[in-house]
Amino acid sequence: MSPSFTSASTLDDALAAVASGARPVAGGTDLVVGARQGKAPLPNDIVAIDRVEGLRALEISDAGLRLGTLVTHGDIVANADIRNRFTALADASAIVGSHATRAQGTIGGNVMNASPAMDTGGPLLCFDATVTLRSAKGERTIGLDALWTGPGKTSAAPDELLVSVDLPAPGEGTGSCYVRLEYRRQMEIAVVGATAVVVLGDGNVADARIAITALTPTIRRVPAAEKTLVGTAADADAVKAAARATAAAATPISDVRGSAEYRRAMAEVMATRAIAAALTRARGGSVPIPASPAMYGAKES
Amino acid sequence: MATVETAPGFVRQDGKEKVTGTGRYTADLTLTGMAHVKFRYADHSHAKILKIDTAKARALPGVVAVVTQADLPDVRFGGFVQDRYLFARDVVRFEGEIVAGVAALTEDIAAEAARLIEVEYEPLPVISDYVEAMSPDAPLVHEGLADYEKDENILANGNTMAFHTIVKGDADAAMAGADVVVKSHYRSDASQGVPIEPRAVVAQWQGDKVTVWSSTQVPYAARAGVAQTLGIPEADVRIIVPLLGGGFGAKCDLHFEGQVAAIARAAHRPVRLVFSREEEFKAIAQRREGISMDFETGVTRAGELIARRATLILDKGAYCGEGGFLGQMAAMHACGPYQIGAIKIESHLNYTNNQPSGSVRAPTAPQVCWGLEQHMDEVAAAIDMDPVELRRRTLIEEGAEGPTRQVFDHVGVKDTLEKAVEMIDYGRELPEDEAIGVAIGWWPCMPASSGAYVQMNGDGSATIVTGAQENGSGAVMAMPMFVGQELGIDPDDVSVIYQDTDVAPWDMGSCGSQTTFNSGRAILAAAQEVREQLLDAAAEQLEADRGDLELTEGSARVKGSPERSVAIADLVGEIGTVHGKGSGEVLDAPEGDTGGCVGRLGNETFLAPQLITQAAHVKVDRETGVVRVLRVAAAHDSGRILNKKGADGQVFGGVVMGVGLALSEGTMLDDQGRQRNPHLLDYKLVTCSDAPQIDVEWIEYDSVGPRGSKGVGEPPQVPTAGAIANAIAKVIGRHVGELPMTPERVWLATHGNGA
Repeated sequence: MSPSFTSASTLDDALAAVASGARPVAGGTDLVVGARQGKAPLPNDIVAIDRVEGLRALEISDAGLRLGTLVTHGDIVANADIRNRFTALADASAIVGSHATRAQGTIGGNVMNASPAMDTGGPLLCFDATVTLRSAKGERTIGLDALWTGPGKTSAAPDELLVSVDLPAPGEGTGSCYVRLEYRRQMEIAVVGATAVVVLGDGNVADARIAITALTPTIRRVPAAEKTLVGTAADADAVKAAARATAAAATPISDVRGSAEYRRAMAEVMATRAIAAALTRARGGSVPIPASPAMYGAKES
Repeated sequence: MATVETAPGFVRQDGKEKVTGTGRYTADLTLTGMAHVKFRYADHSHAKILKIDTAKARALPGVVAVVTQADLPDVRFGGFVQDRYLFARDVVRFEGEIVAGVAALTEDIAAEAARLIEVEYEPLPVISDYVEAMSPDAPLVHEGLADYEKDENILANGNTMAFHTIVKGDADAAMAGADVVVKSHYRSDASQGVPIEPRAVVAQWQGDKVTVWSSTQVPYAARAGVAQTLGIPEADVRIIVPLLGGGFGAKCDLHFEGQVAAIARAAHRPVRLVFSREEEFKAIAQRREGISMDFETGVTRAGELIARRATLILDKGAYCGEGGFLGQMAAMHACGPYQIGAIKIESHLNYTNNQPSGSVRAPTAPQVCWGLEQHMDEVAAAIDMDPVELRRRTLIEEGAEGPTRQVFDHVGVKDTLEKAVEMIDYGRELPEDEAIGVAIGWWPCMPASSGAYVQMNGDGSATIVTGAQENGSGAVMAMPMFVGQELGIDPDDVSVIYQDTDVAPWDMGSCGSQTTFNSGRAILAAAQEVREQLLDAAAEQLEADRGDLELTEGSARVKGSPERSVAIADLVGEIGTVHGKGSGEVLDAPEGDTGGCVGRLGNETFLAPQLITQAAHVKVDRETGVVRVLRVAAAHDSGRILNKKGADGQVFGGVVMGVGLALSEGTMLDDQGRQRNPHLLDYKLVTCSDAPQIDVEWIEYDSVGPRGSKGVGEPPQVPTAGAIANAIAKVIGRHVGELPMTPERVWLATHGNGA
């Protein structure tokens, strides 16, 4: 069958196209690059959803944050409320790819690409994000841990379209941070990344969420590390213990980006930095967004 | 003579079209009836070809030509050793080797047809490690090397394509008398030029003549290569270069013009080849070579360098190309611009089943300088002397002897050291994770023929016709300014006809930092002929003594009496035809005592060396090994600077390339010599955000080039990686032994496992 490319103007049109086998494209930053690199050939039928009304909304309230699937990384970084309350997500969105990637790439595409190296994945997991998948038959809402089943793989059915990502409001005293190992300042991909979301109460850690990026087949939280931190006063020893536990959960590979040995060592360094910066922010201190470049001594930009 | 500042408002003529996107590059050309070319590449890094069956490819609808070496003359090409066919004939020797070419009505059909070509191989053992390539039981990359046509000074043996020595005095005896002997080992990975424009070639035949549009830095070398490999006269080959989207040396040499011309002839229609980024990494025969370096220096406690021994082993890859001289050039850089009592350098340029190496911006110099300048810091440490002080005591100066007893004229290298140190405020207190490193390098000027015409037009404007090639540096684009100054006319009224081998005299092309040095000399000589004609006519018309006349603001006039003047346009009308041609005198290589040196290919002495000191201020994240370069202070002696804006630009670009070479740019290979990172995500160029602050100062003395100049383009990349390396070593307390100094390598060195 000859290839087709259609542009949907309504959600129903988009769902109908997806139901008949078309692959959705929004920003196109993964689909086209993936095909060029030979990861996956371009699908035969493509439906562009970038003009669908209503999928671009970004709503933030006391209840939490709802990101329409077409919200771009640039939109996220520019939002002052997200920067204040979901800081780790802003850290991650600010360093995805290049300026062009951030202007064009969408949160929905990023989540459905299911890369174990995606920058926003750790923050979304730690903020308990859920995704709403819609098909012509109805919709369902699931957690990210249920969505991501392997590198590039999700549990979404072929006729389902991700329409929104929801994050409940973090409690009082929350601070968060995402950092990654980066070899250069732009056009970079995470070789090792760590996310920390901590909630302080009476000076102690009331709750902690820690996730690792590019260190396991899917991005995942590390409950053992979280437990190590909860209930402590978050002093240097507690942070170090939690970071060690984080690194212990890593099952890194060796490839052109780094050896497994280096990645495991960096997991501890990144976790230490993410937890420390999250604590600083929870205590009202200032860490620039994105957190990563400043940690390597680059001038703020 | 003072620095000639860029004329205010001077805008290079190709600037606007490049910046606004209206410029046309080779890949933008479309000719009526044009077909599309795809290559079939080798399926093995080393194998005998038993059979090539093209029947299925030819049968595919839409295919208009399939070409293999069987269709072409039995001619090998190569600069110093003629070791390669356009299409592999009997043996494939690296993964990017071209086995066949296809032309079809669409790119997709061409790609499919290339896949359908059936090639039967007998795999041969692969030798990818260029050091192991010298072991007696290593498989031979070229069984027939002894019988190949080669330059008479090439010394080949086994897998060693060329062996060179530089010998001064008795280094072994001198070493025995040293107070301290320091030994170091360094090893660099291969890296790439990475022009932003991937290669494109378009070819069209008319009768027996072929026109080839190509993204090349060297159109005349491409012409000679097409003529040689297809067995036709150079007069029947015309190479035109549309705008060139960068080259950095990687677009030197014959590159695919021969194959594409052959395919167009077989297709009976014009054809176009456009490379993907992956092909631009894998198929080109022109990357920066990996080098293994062992240095040994004998020094006195007072810092006198009394002996240097070094052994260099370079990865030539599968074929010679124009890179036959790399080993000798590397040997000169293992000496550096220092006064050394006795020297013995051995250099082995070895064939492997890797991608071929060739000239990339100052070939061999940045890697060897990176190793040598770290070694120099180690020598300084061994005698408890500040590394800047050791260099102060040992750098060459006027009257000093080079590695082959060449005696230098005035050179500004010591001034560049003092200037760079002053610019960066060397020795000041810094945070414990920051440091300043210093490195010094050199690079010769290449004497070469060139020729040019300058003709006056009836309205007083002028046209330059030159064989020079513009690769983006602005060297050719500055020529209207020089001719305008010579003839007293506005540079905007001077046009340039260039990049077309049918209209201008031979030129070496955009390589060897030679455009201003040689092409500029020819253009100025042509302009001076025109100047003489104009002054003769003006003297007659104004009834004035020739010596009292000046050419300025579009007129000839009597100095001090502006009312006695005549417009240049009127003089041209009077004379009829006003044109000049020029070549200028090609300079000889300096004399030296090279009697003890073997493998002499012309780099054993350095004409008008350009001298460079750079000081780099870096910050090292010890926990991760990530290095940020905060600032580079660059002080260069390139003789008189003729176009400061352009020259500064070369330093900015060269330093940024140097930062990439230092920290992130390395081609990784598997044990079959196949590239593991042939794309821009994992071959990491430096982005604008990573670029340091770069400060430039020029140390200006009169040199032997036009208007006292030397070359400018290649040297800025030479010492950058060395300066960064020495700064890193100061922070982490150890030298990093491998290039690029990736975060993991710096981390390993920091924590005691590396180097």
